[in-house]
Amino acid sequence: MTPSESTLLEMRGVRKTFGPVIALDNVTLNVKRGEIHGLLGGNGAGKTTLMNVLFGLYKADAGEIAVDGRVAQVRSPREAIGLGIGMVHQQFLQVNSFSAAENIVLGTPLRNRPTLDLTTPKQKIRALSEKFGLSLDPDATLESQPMGVRQRVEILKALYRDAKLLILDEPTTMLTPQQVDSLFNSLRAMVKSGLSVIFITHKLREVLTLCERITVLRNGKSVITLAREEATEDTFIKAMVGEEMNIGRSLLFAKSSYETEIAQVGSKELLKVDGLSVEAASQENQVISDWSFTLREGEILGVAGVAGNGQHELAESLMGIRPCKGKVVFDGAEMTTLVTRDLLARGIAYVPENRWDDGLLPKATVAQNLILGSHRRPPYSNGLMLNLGAILKRSQELIDEFKIKTESPQSLAANLSGGNVQRMMLARAFSQNPKLMIVHNPTQGLDIPSTEFVYNKLLERKRAGMGTLLISENLDELFLMCNRVAAIYRGRIVGVLERGQFDAYRVGRMMSGLE
Amino acid sequence: MDQFDSFIGFARLILLALVPYVLASQGTMLSGRTGVFNVAQEGIMLLGASVGFLVALYTKSLLIGIVAAAVAGGIIGLALAYFSSTLKMDQFVIGLALFFIGLGASSLAFKLVVGVTLQLPRVPTLSNLRIPLLGDIPILGEILFNQNALVYFSVLISIALYYYLYQTSWGLELRAVGENPKSADSLGVNVVLMQYATTIIGSALIGVAGAYLPMVYTGVFTQGITQGRGWLAIALTFFGGWRPQLILLGAFFFAIVEVLSLRAQIVGSAIPYQFLRTLPYITTIFVMIYAFRWTRVPAFLGLNYDREKRSLS
Ligand SMILES: Nc1ncnc2c1ncn2[C@@H]1O[C@H](COP(=O)(O)OP(=O)(O)OP(=O)(O)O)[C@@H](O)[C@H]1O
Ligand SMILES: [Mg+2]
Repeated sequence: MTPSESTLLEMRGVRKTFGPVIALDNVTLNVKRGEIHGLLGGNGAGKTTLMNVLFGLYKADAGEIAVDGRVAQVRSPREAIGLGIGMVHQQFLQVNSFSAAENIVLGTPLRNRPTLDLTTPKQKIRALSEKFGLSLDPDATLESQPMGVRQRVEILKALYRDAKLLILDEPTTMLTPQQVDSLFNSLRAMVKSGLSVIFITHKLREVLTLCERITVLRNGKSVITLAREEATEDTFIKAMVGEEMNIGRSLLFAKSSYETEIAQVGSKELLKVDGLSVEAASQENQVISDWSFTLREGEILGVAGVAGNGQHELAESLMGIRPCKGKVVFDGAEMTTLVTRDLLARGIAYVPENRWDDGLLPKATVAQNLILGSHRRPPYSNGLMLNLGAILKRSQELIDEFKIKTESPQSLAANLSGGNVQRMMLARAFSQNPKLMIVHNPTQGLDIPSTEFVYNKLLERKRAGMGTLLISENLDELFLMCNRVAAIYRGRIVGVLERGQFDAYRVGRMMSGLE
Repeated sequence: MDQFDSFIGFARLILLALVPYVLASQGTMLSGRTGVFNVAQEGIMLLGASVGFLVALYTKSLLIGIVAAAVAGGIIGLALAYFSSTLKMDQFVIGLALFFIGLGASSLAFKLVVGVTLQLPRVPTLSNLRIPLLGDIPILGEILFNQNALVYFSVLISIALYYYLYQTSWGLELRAVGENPKSADSLGVNVVLMQYATTIIGSALIGVAGAYLPMVYTGVFTQGITQGRGWLAIALTFFGGWRPQLILLGAFFFAIVEVLSLRAQIVGSAIPYQFLRTLPYITTIFVMIYAFRWTRVPAFLGLNYDREKRSLS
């Protein structure tokens, strides 16, 4: 094959602006037939925007797209689909009240249009899901399905339309390690059958195990495209962040030099939970039965578990969002009956797992989102009126400190990129300077420097003697930062490991109910 | 007062009263299912009543009058679709503006065409259409199968809408637009086209609902002839959970209340008719409180979809 024959997709000189923001500037991307092509880049680098242009959701200001060597106009998703492009979005685009099969066939020319008889489409769906190991029940309504299944629906949507090129925008953020493995197997099977895949992620390890070639974006420009063999982790980090990160002094890459500091804990109890139980509000929610644990000053206590085993309920009941039984003592005072507003005032902050639904007011400005929760207190409010000057000043400081990529504090929060929404939520929680912070998957969707930044912030809190409850599905993260890790399974604490005893396999067994 | 007191007469009146509710509410439901929340019903119905009446008066054809009312409603629908789907303006604000436009235009048209007269012009009322064979069934035949054409039409359109929405793949696409327009868009469904089509057709149905009033009840057009039926149609749509089959059922309740309050007005009763008239609103509120799952509304009702915006406004 000549080089041009092996090329499936070429994007040349793509430019996209949103008002004054230049999201993409002269970007080039070249994807070969039958390869998994990694797309790397920091938060707000323009990865999602580039893919939205390719999929016809955004209209580019300039640039050219060629598929199979022919220049193509992509003015709408319909045309993109016609060219054999399928996309799995960072936020799934699904009709929750429809069944999996209905979501998949939606918009396709069904032969028997007037009858909505889905027998034949379902056969095709079953065949595809078997072929690529994407098991699901076509008749189940999506609302009740876990993230892993919902993602398979998104992938099957593309495969059902005979996509030649599948775009996956941060597909692994919401998945458990097992689900990631099965996704990778499916992707490999797809590539074997001739598909190409564009794979966006922040996890270098994933890129290096899965992708043949990798393109790096930085600040809306394509920096470099490399084959996997040519490159190491360092090359990519350099390409992504420039020289702004000092790898030698990094918490992430030079773990051992921080060991003694992280291992330290205060002696005073900050939080004591005794017999905490949460009843299921609906079937999907796991009941928490009889949890007891303590968290000391300066401690980072980890909670490890596969999503849906009670961690969401734990966080919400401690934050007063969900009714619970049992006794919770915080900082010497009982707080079981307090409402969220009082809990915030006493110095507890929360970073929820689902940033889109639980963490963000999309139609409010970045500034408003940043002070949410402290907005009743001075200097932001005198009890009656908001002090807009103080709010703007403080939010600008936070935007600078947490490097939130936004045009101004007054921009709509919904326009932030995925990782920047996460930074905004973290900035809000950290800025409240809480004695206890409950963080749930705090680094999901964050690029490497931001992850490093968050870990440093957590360390700072530890030095100041404040406590953190770190709920995470990322064992590396838990083992790096925590003094103790509690493994949970089906709403029960299976066991608690001390730092020094951490063992991924052991925790893995506990999390799957084998121990 | 035979009509009210004989069973047959009473049942016939209910079916008669059913029609404007069914048509206006199905029209509301249709565009709502693609996310366009029409709140101009009262204005559209008044305009439909006025235009339908005037055209029927001059063409001497009720059918042409009904078509004209549908066209007038459709034009308002087109405006609503243009301002919300294309220009992404606030649907409620536009809807209220269109209500006032309909209100004003209906009486203006009447004054321009008819002028001020002592003797109000009349159109003949829609005659009954007896269905062969079925109409001969005792009692039932008289109630169900000896009615005017729009009674049959409103039941048939409800059935057709049910079939369309839930049994065809077009219906699947239509519902998807109201539940998650971005998802529909990303699968190649033409969101804007769907919204235009449903809003125009829906408003046309509402226009016909308006024309029904002078053509069946009174034979004349008077200001405020709709008597709040347009607002009630919105309530009925919620009452019926934005589903055509339940809207048809719910319309019976609304029609019964209307007939009862009419009776109270004419014959007199222990319960003041003003109270009876508020009953549909009160019931709707209770239905919405206690049967929220049942009255599940389209997820993007009242919101506009913009492909390049990350939030839906
Ligand atoms: N619809 C929009 N309106 C305004 N600004 C936008 C819009 N979409 C993206 N942007 C801006 O464009 C830039 C690139 O965003 P994009 O979502 O492509 O980043 P990303 O590389 O996907 O980042 P992340 O890893 O955080 O998801 C950001 O500064 C973002 O605020
Ligand atoms: Mg993104």
